[in-house]
Amino acid sequence: MRDKLKRLGIELPLLPTTSVGSLPKPPHLLEARQKVAAGKMGAAELRRLEEQATREWMTTQEELGLDVLVDGEMYRGDMAAYFAENLEGFKTSGLVRSYGNRYYRKPIIAGEIRWKKPITVDWWRFAQQLTRKPVKGMITGPYTMMDWSFNEYYPSRREACLALAKALHEEVKALAAAGAKIIQIDEPALSARPEELSDFAIDAIQTVTRGIDAYFICHICYGAFEFIYPEMLRLPVDNFDLEMSNSDLDLVELFRVHPFTKDLSFGVVDVHSHAVEDVETIVKRIRKALEVLHPEQLWIDPDCGLKTRSREEAVGKLKNMVEATRRVRSELG
Amino acid sequence: MIKMEILAASAGSYPRIGDSVEQQRHRQAYAQLERGEITAEEFEQVQDEVTREVIEEQIRAGLNLITDGQVRWYDPISHLVRKVEGCRINGLLRYFDTNFYFRQPVVEGRLSRREPMLRGEFRFAKKVSTRPVKPVLTGPYTLARHSIDRRGAGLKTIVSEFAEIIAEEVKDLVEEGAEIIQLDEPAILKHPDDFKLFREAIETVSAERGGAQLALYTYFGDAAPLYEELLDLSVEAIGLDFTYGPKLPRVIEARGCDKDLGLGLIDGRNTRLERPEEILGKLKQILPALNSKRIYLNTSCGLGDYLPREIAFRKLQLVAEVAERAEELI
Repeated sequence: MRDKLKRLGIELPLLPTTSVGSLPKPPHLLEARQKVAAGKMGAAELRRLEEQATREWMTTQEELGLDVLVDGEMYRGDMAAYFAENLEGFKTSGLVRSYGNRYYRKPIIAGEIRWKKPITVDWWRFAQQLTRKPVKGMITGPYTMMDWSFNEYYPSRREACLALAKALHEEVKALAAAGAKIIQIDEPALSARPEELSDFAIDAIQTVTRGIDAYFICHICYGAFEFIYPEMLRLPVDNFDLEMSNSDLDLVELFRVHPFTKDLSFGVVDVHSHAVEDVETIVKRIRKALEVLHPEQLWIDPDCGLKTRSREEAVGKLKNMVEATRRVRSELG
Repeated sequence: MIKMEILAASAGSYPRIGDSVEQQRHRQAYAQLERGEITAEEFEQVQDEVTREVIEEQIRAGLNLITDGQVRWYDPISHLVRKVEGCRINGLLRYFDTNFYFRQPVVEGRLSRREPMLRGEFRFAKKVSTRPVKPVLTGPYTLARHSIDRRGAGLKTIVSEFAEIIAEEVKDLVEEGAEIIQLDEPAILKHPDDFKLFREAIETVSAERGGAQLALYTYFGDAAPLYEELLDLSVEAIGLDFTYGPKLPRVIEARGCDKDLGLGLIDGRNTRLERPEEILGKLKQILPALNSKRIYLNTSCGLGDYLPREIAFRKLQLVAEVAERAEELI
């Protein structure tokens, strides 16, 4: 797929490094979000703090030497709720349990879903102006939006998912029009009901990406790939971003049986552990990936978004990841 | 013909917190416990109060058969397994295709029950309720399927060890006065090939039920392909989730039923409130084919981890309304 990137005007080194999407919010920004929720701070002040935090992360990513950058999602709370709040047709539920003592408000599809105006484009533009490196456009995909919402309006999961796909297509179109060349579709829920992949999830992703000239990445996590692989390769995207490290790289064995035919962003650090993996460990993981993938196919990143880690942990993991990648690159010559 | 009885029943859990300030007590107390600001005994007291509250709420909604709402359960797996010797509790994993996460047990040694699991909780609920209370247990197969086998013992062994444990638990609950016990086995729907070892496990458990009724509940999958086999189990009632099985009414219509049935016709995982007529229409199709003594009308699954509290209450009201109007159909 490097030809496609080249055609889009993007030159990347071998084994491009990136991060999945979210980065840790500074504590003062978390406090500010609570103040805004309690009506004790205005939206403009929050926006100023979000921009400041985004600037800091853009600088940090440059300093770390990452090749493809993200805006860090300083302005997003929950990845599904953020899009639900900005699309027409959604309302919010009462508190629902997630696990232990954790509760959240789940979006409810209460009417016809419509895209009103760009949701993420301003933030993408803001981040891209701060760097010469490419910044990924980022959306939460239609299947995950459907699976993480109550559905009171559409007669089936399929119809809800396809309606979301149409709305999100508009967002992707707006991102591409603004200049985004690499667009990531986050689909953590994609393996929830494996039979739905060929029933309608592939159609939905097709609807999102159709006719748009960009390099598409699809991020999937929360395991259970064994049930959707190799069918998943039929999704019309160029690159899959998968968590590999928290499953001890078990997927590599799967790829020996059914070769991976697209590009792969290979998760080399576990985002759920506090421990920062050392360079040697990451080098081994990259070499393991190269047992089943051609170097031209391989991107290097963490398993998932780093927002639940501290800033120090996140920076530590990314730093060692970049260093390990450089080492393997020099081995490849 | 024996007259069929239709009961409005709970299918298990009920939300422990709601949106109002008074309904946030459990959540606050949990956080205080974690910060060391209250003792385990004080937290226990809050759990007792919330249990009373959700029992009262189920009765107010009009249910005939209630549960304690399982408000003390961390999740359907680890709440029981934390009292089992031979394993530890690991990280979070998605529970079936829901948006809820459970902690996964890791089996490292021979499994045995360290102490009774639900006896005290059931005693409390029974004491404070004016309606019959149904204790709910997660079944041995579902427990085993959600565990990691570090010991390398194999699924069959782990299922049979969990079956011994759950059988002891059933015996305790019967001694404590349970008249009906719900055994949740959603996992079997995903693995029909395991039915033989599943059946053996259920036999081990049901051998201890004495004079109590055992209700085996399945959900989060289509029960139609296994319907015949489920009817053949040594239990008194089978619970079915109709939200996954569009063919289920026709299968029941064709095959009939000589066990009691738990009919999960009302969606326990979506906030959309069904119209009573929608549900009554489906009942009309199913009821004439049944030889059951009792029909439990309930939501497709427990509500505690899937719906906001106010919607859960309205779903139970709907269960009660439909149960009452269904009397006219028989």
